[in-house]
Amino acid sequence: MIEYRNITKRFGEKIAVNNLNMTLEKGTITMLIGPSGCGKTTSLKMVNRLVDPDEGDILINGESVFDLDPVKLRRSIGYVIQEIGLFPHYSVFDNIATLPRLHNWDEKKIKDRVYEVLDMVTLDESYADKYPSQLSGGERQRVGLARALAADPEVLLMDEPFGAIDPINRLILQQSFLEIQEEIKKTIIFVTHDINEAIQLGDKIAIMNQGSLVQFDTVSEILANPENEFVENLLGHDRNLKALSLKKARDYIKKEGYITVGPDVDKEAIRKELEEKDLVLAYIIDSRGRLKGRYYIDKAARKVDGRYPLVRETRPYHVERTTSLTETLSRMLEYGEKVLPVVSRNGRFRGVIDLDSIFEEVKQAGTAKGA
Amino acid sequence: MEFFSYFVTHSDLIADSIIRHFLLFLISMAFAIVVGIFLSIVITREGHEKVGQVILSITGASQAVPSVAVIALVFLFIGIGMKPALVALVIYSLVPIVFNATSGILSVDPGVLEAAKGMGLTKSQRLWHIKIPLAMPVIMSGIRSSATINIGTVTVAAIIGAGGLGDIIYTGLKLNRPEMIFIGAGLAAIIAILVDTVLMYVERKVTPKGLA
Repeated sequence: MIEYRNITKRFGEKIAVNNLNMTLEKGTITMLIGPSGCGKTTSLKMVNRLVDPDEGDILINGESVFDLDPVKLRRSIGYVIQEIGLFPHYSVFDNIATLPRLHNWDEKKIKDRVYEVLDMVTLDESYADKYPSQLSGGERQRVGLARALAADPEVLLMDEPFGAIDPINRLILQQSFLEIQEEIKKTIIFVTHDINEAIQLGDKIAIMNQGSLVQFDTVSEILANPENEFVENLLGHDRNLKALSLKKARDYIKKEGYITVGPDVDKEAIRKELEEKDLVLAYIIDSRGRLKGRYYIDKAARKVDGRYPLVRETRPYHVERTTSLTETLSRMLEYGEKVLPVVSRNGRFRGVIDLDSIFEEVKQAGTAKGA
Repeated sequence: MEFFSYFVTHSDLIADSIIRHFLLFLISMAFAIVVGIFLSIVITREGHEKVGQVILSITGASQAVPSVAVIALVFLFIGIGMKPALVALVIYSLVPIVFNATSGILSVDPGVLEAAKGMGLTKSQRLWHIKIPLAMPVIMSGIRSSATINIGTVTVAAIIGAGGLGDIIYTGLKLNRPEMIFIGAGLAAIIAILVDTVLMYVERKVTPKGLA
């Protein structure tokens, strides 16, 4: 747990951080965001005392950081900055081994740990002997994270770590960062200027402007109830849409509006059942409950013998239970489908999600703001 | 013809001159390297980078001062002989070393230094494990150019009684014997080339891997 208590920092006349009070829960990711010069990086650097405040106190697990020797304090905290932070004259191995060596671990333990954290950031052992100049931007960033994790710190400070990475690789890094955090459960302060990154990664978001904390809350609460116009503008006009990225398809599953059939059911029987129930969709489910395909009555096609054709598809588009609503929506648009089947990770059919549910969700988010 | 006969008749003198020349170079360079690196470290301390920048401009400009001027000044204030010559050589060789070492240390990526500090490396660990190794290629090229200049300057220092290959050149000038001038200058040039070759090898050895 990290507590900021009445923290104020001035640079000359300018107030960089103004009476900051904030408590960060153990094992959570707090995203610090705001425009340039809002004090987010300064606030971050106070935790490992790269910057000392003029007033106030910072406590880690109840202990003031100002009672500790700065060098010892820093060695107990993981620190990740943009990719330039790697030592170019050290191999990947030596970069990661920096802190364990300062802690005087024996070489065997250091070696085991280096390979352990490399594996954690999904780099194989062949990377150990490479130099930073031989790595891609994304790989360097992974090494940076591995180096920060090497001495197993409880707290991680990350200063725009993915800022210099191209958008596609950034998405991949963010995803694997979340998976790593799932495993290691560190207390993380993460500075970013990218609101999408903040929403994607944060448990909580702290929004700062001109040195003051404007709003500090969970991501969904901030999206639903922005404190003021500044926060609204930061979130953007599409914040209702952004809120969808936090919601998962599994919570919007419907079990109606379709029928399920076995793989060997006769086509005529399927058509008959669909016509009786006035439906158009039949999902094909095998004996173990896995989605195998679908039948649908194609009302856009020309009638044959006075009836619309019944089409069979063996590989229907689908989403997983954990797919976000944003992703679900974009797949619906991409495939031109209003209804998509939802499957579990092992491919079992769980029901469907339709466009109306997503619209309903956006509408509700919109009214919650007014309330 | 005269060229070879001089070699044969004065081989002892030539050998002595080479040794003396080389010793003057070695002693003055050793001082200049130690003092120069030490000075550069002092003027580039964290929080004092401004001082480093100022020294950088001064040493940059001083490289335009001719060696004769420095030797003449030393002669005015200290006198003649081997010791004043050494003083002049050290001063003159310092300039490129300080210039390069200072600019090398100051140009280390601030992001790397920030990361090192944030990870908990102490000031001296940051200096010896990060700054110096990263500045090493630039420091070494300063030492190399200083060494080449130094060997040339030793010949000039002969005018205040340093001895060495310069003596042969000046004698040749006075006696109007071009072969002596050629021999003195040629041998100094050969020493410079050999020394530079050795230093190039040293540079390759001390440049950390990963710095391409």
